[in-house]
Amino acid sequence: MAHSGPTPRRTGAWVLITVLVLISILGTLIVPIYARSSPYIGAFPFFYWYQLLWVPFVAILMAICYLISTHGSRRGSGQVPPVRDGSGEVR
Amino acid sequence: MSINWVSFSILLILFAVVAFVGFAATRWRRAEDMLHLNEWGLGGRGFGSFVTWFLLGGDVYTAYTFIAVPALVFGTGAAGFFTLSYTIMVYPIAFIFLPRLWSIARVHGYVTPADFVRGRYGSRGLALAVAFTGILAVMPYIALQLVGIQAVLTVMGVGGSSSNAFVKDLPLIIAFLVLAAYTMVSGLRAPALIAFIKDTLIYVMIIVAIIYIPMRVGGWHHIFGVADTHLKATNPKTGKPNGSLILEPAGEWAFATTALGSALALFMYPHNITGTFAARRRNVIRRNIAALPAYSVVLGLIALLGYVALATPGVPGQVKAHDANAQLALPFMFRDLFPSWFAGIAFSAIVIGALVPAAIMSIAAANLFCRNVWKEYIRPNASDREQTRVAQTTSLLVKLGALCFVLFVNTTYAIQLQLLGGIWIVQTFPAIVAGLYTRWFNRWALLIGWAVAMVWGTIEAYRLPSPGKPGTHFGASADTLPVIGHTVYIGLTGLVMNLIIAVLLTLLFRALKAPEGTDETQPAQFVADPEPGAPPPIPVIAGVGHETGLADSG
Repeated sequence: MAHSGPTPRRTGAWVLITVLVLISILGTLIVPIYARSSPYIGAFPFFYWYQLLWVPFVAILMAICYLISTHGSRRGSGQVPPVRDGSGEVR
Repeated sequence: MSINWVSFSILLILFAVVAFVGFAATRWRRAEDMLHLNEWGLGGRGFGSFVTWFLLGGDVYTAYTFIAVPALVFGTGAAGFFTLSYTIMVYPIAFIFLPRLWSIARVHGYVTPADFVRGRYGSRGLALAVAFTGILAVMPYIALQLVGIQAVLTVMGVGGSSSNAFVKDLPLIIAFLVLAAYTMVSGLRAPALIAFIKDTLIYVMIIVAIIYIPMRVGGWHHIFGVADTHLKATNPKTGKPNGSLILEPAGEWAFATTALGSALALFMYPHNITGTFAARRRNVIRRNIAALPAYSVVLGLIALLGYVALATPGVPGQVKAHDANAQLALPFMFRDLFPSWFAGIAFSAIVIGALVPAAIMSIAAANLFCRNVWKEYIRPNASDREQTRVAQTTSLLVKLGALCFVLFVNTTYAIQLQLLGGIWIVQTFPAIVAGLYTRWFNRWALLIGWAVAMVWGTIEAYRLPSPGKPGTHFGASADTLPVIGHTVYIGLTGLVMNLIIAVLLTLLFRALKAPEGTDETQPAQFVADPEPGAPPPIPVIAGVGHETGLADSG
């Protein structure tokens, strides 16, 4: 209801973003996935390195989401100002 | 305990630098009229990606990260790592709704979350509930900052050894007064500028700590080994093991629900919403969310330092000698292992890392009081100047309220203060976040759901004693749910209760054709991205006007 006339491309982008966001959340929300000690990396039990590794992974997923959101929107929302100097059009 | 003068001098010097920057900040991005609430309370709403990243990071990573989290890991082991899971989940959640909140706030010139609720539902009552919750929930969170500062001062031997209560807390009170003074003068500009210094100190401290200390202590194999032995040992007070190195199946529900509840709560806190509103453009928010997990890495590494402290000879003994105050573990370790000059830098990082968020939190609570209580109920015609004066005074009163939490809520783990705040603030989630997407919910249904969850959550939290200390209150924040038989974070149980009531009552009120209240927002405004040059508060009135729309909501 909130979007006035979403284009199919925009809807597709948001479906993708939703999936990536869900993956980011469920990765550490479902605790039984990682509440175990092996395999170890060095001295670190799985429980610790899994969570630590998940941080940069989520950062990458969020960066992808950001790129999709700036790319997918057409009405200037969440977007870098499209025209800089008036001499030419961006997109 | 004697004072180490090298460490203490460094702390004093850095503290003086911060205080100077705090007062000088009023000249930064100088405004025409500092006494306008947009200026004092939102730094002119002109912060770009870089400043916003520091400001939001400054909000999110506080004494919670440097004192409370390692203390919990030191005391209970794996259970303390819910904090890492929470800081991982929080950004994806915020990615979804935060830009909408920013847009609608920018279009209508909202300063607080309660402003949005009032505009969206046309309900002064619901807005007051949101404002009240924000002010209340921020107090234990500020209290946690004060506990963190206290821990550092105790370990440094400053004041803490005196039996006179006033002398004992004098350094804390001085730090507190300087904080209050520069907050009043410079508003949000002060913490935004100090956040640069704070984060630099923190990154230096953590990089050195995580490389240097484990080597000194004997390597990670040794550290995990010692931690495992210690956690498996039986605690004489509870008759159970201290904790575990790997989360036990029995603790999984508490772990996951506390992490999720905290993540849902974080961006409901008024200070985090303030940090968001101060951003210049909409895309600043999403771009930042991709960069903010850098702070989560820091949190994870600091949490691990809780184990390192367990394996540092002498530290567990000293903690035990100080009333088993686990909050002292990390400062003791720094004092014993770092050269005193670097210990001074590390202590400064912790103290400044507590002062910055305390300033931002008190400013946010002051904005709430000023806009949604003072102007709404007491002096509707208050000028901008008067509003700012009121906000300045409130920022001081909120800090005094926090001091009461320090004195009266005495828990084994300081993290309980933050979890208590979370139990309260997460109850505003339905009104704020659902409101960003739909007007389906009835305002009275939301208000009743909020009230029931607030009262229930407070009683539940009050009933729970600290582990091994029967008769204490607010000592834990997760309790067994009768139906499913698992331990669940009270904040999350309350939220579910809140939502169920809101849905059922909305259906009821709709059946009764109860008045809906006016909505001054329009769908397109939730994705708008006004130019930064445009004067921020342009009241866009949709349908019924700002003032007349209130008449029917009482």
